Amino acid sequence: MGALDWLIIFLVLLAVAAAAFVVIRRRRRGGGVFATRGKP
Amino acid sequence: MSDSFRSATGRKVVSRASAADLGMVSYFLVDVGQRRIASVVVGRGKKARLVDWAQVSGFGPDAVMVSDEGALRPAAGDREQAAADGKLDMLGKRTLTERGNKVGTIGDVTFDPATGVVEMLQISDRTIPADTMLGSGTYAVVVDASQEPVP
Amino acid sequence: MKLLMTASQINGLPVVTVHGGDDVAEVRDVIYNPEAGRLVGLTLNKRGFFSGRSREVLPAEAIHAIGRDAVMIADESSLVAPADAPDDVGHPATDRNVIGNDVLTEGGTSLGVVRDLALLVGSAGEVVGYQIEKPAGGHGYIPLPAQLAVSGAALVVPDVTQEFIRDDLVGLGAAVDDFRARLGMQ
Repeated sequence: MGALDWLIIFLVLLAVAAAAFVVIRRRRRGGGVFATRGKP
Repeated sequence: MSDSFRSATGRKVVSRASAADLGMVSYFLVDVGQRRIASVVVGRGKKARLVDWAQVSGFGPDAVMVSDEGALRPAAGDREQAAADGKLDMLGKRTLTERGNKVGTIGDVTFDPATGVVEMLQISDRTIPADTMLGSGTYAVVVDASQEPVP
Repeated sequence: MKLLMTASQINGLPVVTVHGGDDVAEVRDVIYNPEAGRLVGLTLNKRGFFSGRSREVLPAEAIHAIGRDAVMIADESSLVAPADAPDDVGHPATDRNVIGNDVLTEGGTSLGVVRDLALLVGSAGEVVGYQIEKPAGGHGYIPLPAQLAVSGAALVVPDVTQEFIRDDLVGLGAAVDDFRARLGMQ
């Protein structure tokens, strides 16, 4: 395979890794706005 | 005559007893409650040592004279270790009011070299008295609400 | 101090001790009482890029102040174990996320869907309005009365709210007092 093919594979893996980081971070950090439970 | 953290950083530290060169001023550990320098950190990294203000016989414009080499001691406890690692360095530290709003970052801190009393904080575009300080830590210097930035 | 902030601006703020100057945690969830219109507490994350949930929580009474850049606490003892905090803060009702709820007037008109809260942080965290996504698209801010009915997936607001929809927090801030005065006169 040519150098260009390897470059493309590298960039795709980089993009996947970046997306994975974002997803993992968002899940671990959470961050919502919740109302208290009302009177029953 | 006032001195400042920025001009004093890098100044050589000399033993009054032997005239030996003991290193250079790297950081200052401030006692916020008493509004004065508690200790001077000499040297960096593993070689960093603290000199308590009481052991400083003269804080001059060209050299800091300490009683003797024995005045240099290793950091004791978490706060002194953080100071020795530069994590409590006030220079460049963000300044927050006690109401949670940022005032700016500290450009310089002035002090009286005779007593070690901290006088003024130079923050971004203004200079504020050091007696507005409520706390100084790894993340921020906290000042009282009198320094609230006007929106 | 009339500082209005949205709940999403409070999520992620560092929690800083006044006397220690250390960032001991970070805001995770904002917990509020919609009926009483006030902040009840905050859940926390540990500091650090990948860090997760912190065990400790911060009840509203233990907050020294909330500002644009940090939530201030007196010292680390302000953070408490979930067992020592109100149940809604220690164990938040994650199914009671008001974001996405429909906003209906008493007359039955939908003003839109809740996207964020607006809080007056100078006082003890009073909820003064919501950011809504309007049915036709675009965002607005509506002021809330001092007490509000929340049921299921909808919030019910007085009809006169329609006259007080504003484009930004500054507009909302100006509208709140007028709005409440109008309600008081009805």
